[in-house]
Amino acid sequence: MQATDISIIYAASFAILLIGYLTAISSKDVIRLLISLELMFGAVFMSLLPLFSAISNAPAAFGIAILTIFTSSGELLVLIYAIITLDRQKKNIYTSSVTIGGDKL
Amino acid sequence: MLLLSALACTAVLTSLVVLLTRDNFYASMFMSAAMIMVATIYALFDLQPVFVLIVFIFVGALGIVTVALAATYRFAPGRQISWLWALPVVITALILAFSVYATQLAPLGKIQFALQGFITPEYLLLIIFLTSLTVLLLLSVLKMGLKYKDEEGGES
Repeated sequence: MQATDISIIYAASFAILLIGYLTAISSKDVIRLLISLELMFGAVFMSLLPLFSAISNAPAAFGIAILTIFTSSGELLVLIYAIITLDRQKKNIYTSSVTIGGDKL
Repeated sequence: MLLLSALACTAVLTSLVVLLTRDNFYASMFMSAAMIMVATIYALFDLQPVFVLIVFIFVGALGIVTVALAATYRFAPGRQISWLWALPVVITALILAFSVYATQLAPLGKIQFALQGFITPEYLLLIIFLTSLTVLLLLSVLKMGLKYKDEEGGES
């Protein structure tokens, strides 16, 4: 993998991440927020690619990629469930209806 | 390099459509297309296992659920964006891109898929942490579900 290829990958990754951020801060409903988060994870996956040539042992890079994919999938699944719960409780999916975060212990 | 540039440009353009479209359904469809482009870049470097993982898990499972949700809640929200936020993000991205471009990386040939070497005692701890995190996440989801069920039962 040449330095030019890595530069292209990082530039595209940063561009997608920036678009994901802009989508997230401009979203008024949680579905758009979910889509923007998935875009951001896509940018993260793309930025992982040069890791395969930057570090000496490729198995570690594969392991990190697999852990990242599964962890982010778990987080997004929880968010999808939270969206469904929000819709059931508030009867809408506007981000403005989320007034407090966290959970009661 | 030309193919890589084309794929990267397509990924950026499809994600730009996600930002510009006002319909959640089309946004989710273009998001899936952008993810497939990202996965295709992995395939371009002969990393098919990661391609399969991204396409199967992200596009196949999460992407489909997102498309289904977006098709259910398909309305056009307004914009509440402050474009001033884009300026520091662009500056940071440029600095990072330049630092990566200036860094000398060791060139490698064909990358071999060898996950067997990953399961070492050093990484085993990491896997245990990941499993614990997953269990905690699922317990939290279960708690949310049970709490809602209790509240719903109390109301009726």
